[in-house]
Amino acid sequence: MRGLIIAVIVLAAAPLGLPPFAMTLLTEALILGLLAMSLDLMVGYTRLISFGHAAAYGLGAYTCGDLLLHTTLPLPFAVLAAALASGVIAIGVAWTCTLAKGVSFSMLTLAFAQLLYAVAFKWTAVTGASDGLAGIPRRAGPFGLTVFQTKNGYYYLVLACLLGAYAFCRSLVQSPFGAVLRGIRENEPKTLSLGYNTRLYKIAVVAISFALGGLSGALYSPFAGFANTDLLFWLFSGQVLIMVIVGGKGTLIGPILGAAFFMLLEHVLSLYTESWALFFGLIFIGFVTFAPDGIWGLMRRRARV
Amino acid sequence: MDLLPFLLVQCLNALSQAALLFFLGVGLTLIFGIMRIVNFAHGTFYMLGAFLGYSAARLSGNFWLAMIVGPIIAGGIGAAFEVGLLRPLYRRDDSAFLMVTFGLTLVLGDIIRLLWGVDALQVAVPDAFAGIVFLFDEPFPVYRLFLAGAGVVVAIAIWQFLERTRLGLLIRATSQNAEMVHALGVDVNLVRSGIFGIGCGLAALGGVLAAPLVTASLGMAGNAIIDAFVIVIIGGMGSFLGSLLAAVLVAFVQVFGTYYFPDFALAAMYLLMLLVLVVRPGGLLGKEA
Repeated sequence: MRGLIIAVIVLAAAPLGLPPFAMTLLTEALILGLLAMSLDLMVGYTRLISFGHAAAYGLGAYTCGDLLLHTTLPLPFAVLAAALASGVIAIGVAWTCTLAKGVSFSMLTLAFAQLLYAVAFKWTAVTGASDGLAGIPRRAGPFGLTVFQTKNGYYYLVLACLLGAYAFCRSLVQSPFGAVLRGIRENEPKTLSLGYNTRLYKIAVVAISFALGGLSGALYSPFAGFANTDLLFWLFSGQVLIMVIVGGKGTLIGPILGAAFFMLLEHVLSLYTESWALFFGLIFIGFVTFAPDGIWGLMRRRARV
Repeated sequence: MDLLPFLLVQCLNALSQAALLFFLGVGLTLIFGIMRIVNFAHGTFYMLGAFLGYSAARLSGNFWLAMIVGPIIAGGIGAAFEVGLLRPLYRRDDSAFLMVTFGLTLVLGDIIRLLWGVDALQVAVPDAFAGIVFLFDEPFPVYRLFLAGAGVVVAIAIWQFLERTRLGLLIRATSQNAEMVHALGVDVNLVRSGIFGIGCGLAALGGVLAAPLVTASLGMAGNAIIDAFVIVIIGGMGSFLGSLLAAVLVAFVQVFGTYYFPDFALAAMYLLMLLVLVVRPGGLLGKEA
C-alpha cells in the first residue's frame, strides 16, 4: 500500500521533472497499462485467454474518434461513451465466444478481432478504411474546461482514468464477484455445481474488461490524433497479452508494469536494431518458460527474501 | 456465360483452395489431437514454407525439389522447437503453449524478414503446370487443377498413414491415452516431436504450393493462422476428417463469397464458424468442447 502511494505521488509529479518527449512516452505507457490491466481481469483472474483484446482497444479508439470528429461532445464525455459502447458490444462477443472453452475460446476471440479488422478496412464511412481517422481533436469542455487540451493536462486525465480503473478492478476482484471469477479459474465445473451460472459471470467479466480496454483505446485516439487499423491487428492483441504475462498475470499492478516495460524496451531496442520482434519473442518465451509470475512476481519474491 | 459451366469451374477453383487450406489445417489438428496444444506458429511455418520453396526453386531450378526440401527443413525446425522449448512445459496449463508458440511466431517471422527481406517474392509456376486449359469453354489455370489433385493425394496418403501404418497406430493411440501408450513401452515424447514436425512440414508444404499463386510475403502468416484456426474450430479440434470437411466448406464459402458478395466474403467465413459453434460447440466432427 505504501509503495502504491509513493508510485502515485511520483507519477503525479512526473510532469515537473520530465521533458515533454518523455511525457509522451509515459502517457502512452499508462494508456497501454490500462489496456493490459483490463485484459488481466480475463487472463489472470478468470483464465479466459483472450487473443483478441485489440478489439476492445480499436472499438474504443474508433468510437471516440468518430464522436469527436462528427459530434460536438466534449472530450471526457466522448471517452466515457466510447468505453461504454465497447462494453455493450462486448456482451454480444462474449455470448458467442463463451460457447467454447479453453483454447477454442482463445481462437474465437482472435477470429472476432480479425472480423473487426476486416470491417474496419471496408467500412470507409465510419473508419476511414486503410487511411484511418486523422485529425481527431481534443475538444474543450465541459463548462469550457481547456485543461485536457494541453499535454500535461491530458496526462493527468489518463492518470486519473488509470487510477480510477485500478481502484475499480481492485475492489471488483476482492468482491464476491471476484471470488466466483477465481472459482472459474481454478475449477469451472465445481463452480458451476455450486450453483453459479459461470457463463453469465464470464460474459460479465468480458464486458467489463472490454469497457476498460475501450476506455484505454478511447484515451489513445485523441492523444495520438488518429486511429487506424493497426490498433485492431492480431499482432497487437498478442503484444497486449505479452504485457500481461511479462508483467505478472492475476496481479493488476503487474500488467501495468509489463506495459511500461514493453514501451521502454520497444523504444530502446528500436534505437539499436530493426529486429525488435526477434528480441521481444525471445524475452517473452523466456518469461513464459522461466518466470511465469512475471516482473511483479520476481519483485515480490525478492521483497520477501 | 452459362451458369452450369461457370459453377463447375468455380467448384474446381474452390477445391484447389480447399487443398491449400487442408494442408494448413490438418497439421494443426493433428498436433492438437496428440498434444492438446495449439500451435500459434502454424501460420509462420506456412510462410516459412513459401520462402523456403522460393529459395529452393531458385537455387535448383526445380519446383519438385522445393516441394520436398521446404517441408523437410520446416518440419525439422518444428521438431527441434518441440524438443527444446515445448517439452519442458508439458506439466503446465495449456495457455503456456499458446504463448510460447506466439513468441516463436515473432522470432521466426523476424528471422524470415532478416533472411529474405520485406518484399513479396514471385515464385514461377512450374513449367509442367503453366498455362491454362479450357473446361466447358471456360479458361482454367492448370496449376489450380494440380493443386486440387495434390490435395486429394495428400489427404488419402495421410488417411492411409494413420489407418494402416504402425506409426499411424501409435499416433491414434497417443491421442486417445498417452499414459497408457507410454506404459506399454513406447517413447511418447518421440511420437510428439515427430507429429509436431510432420504438422509443421505439412503447413510448409501448403506454403510452397501457395507461393506461385499468392507470392511469398510477410503478410502470409497472419492470414494463414486465422484460416487454420477457423478450419480446426469448424472441423472439430483433433479430427482429421473434420479438418478435411472444414477445409472444403471454408474454401467454398471463400470462393463463392468473393464472387457474389465481395464485401462480405471474410465475414461469411466467420458466420459459418459461428453457426457451427452454436449448433455443435465442439465442431462438426469433434468431441464436445
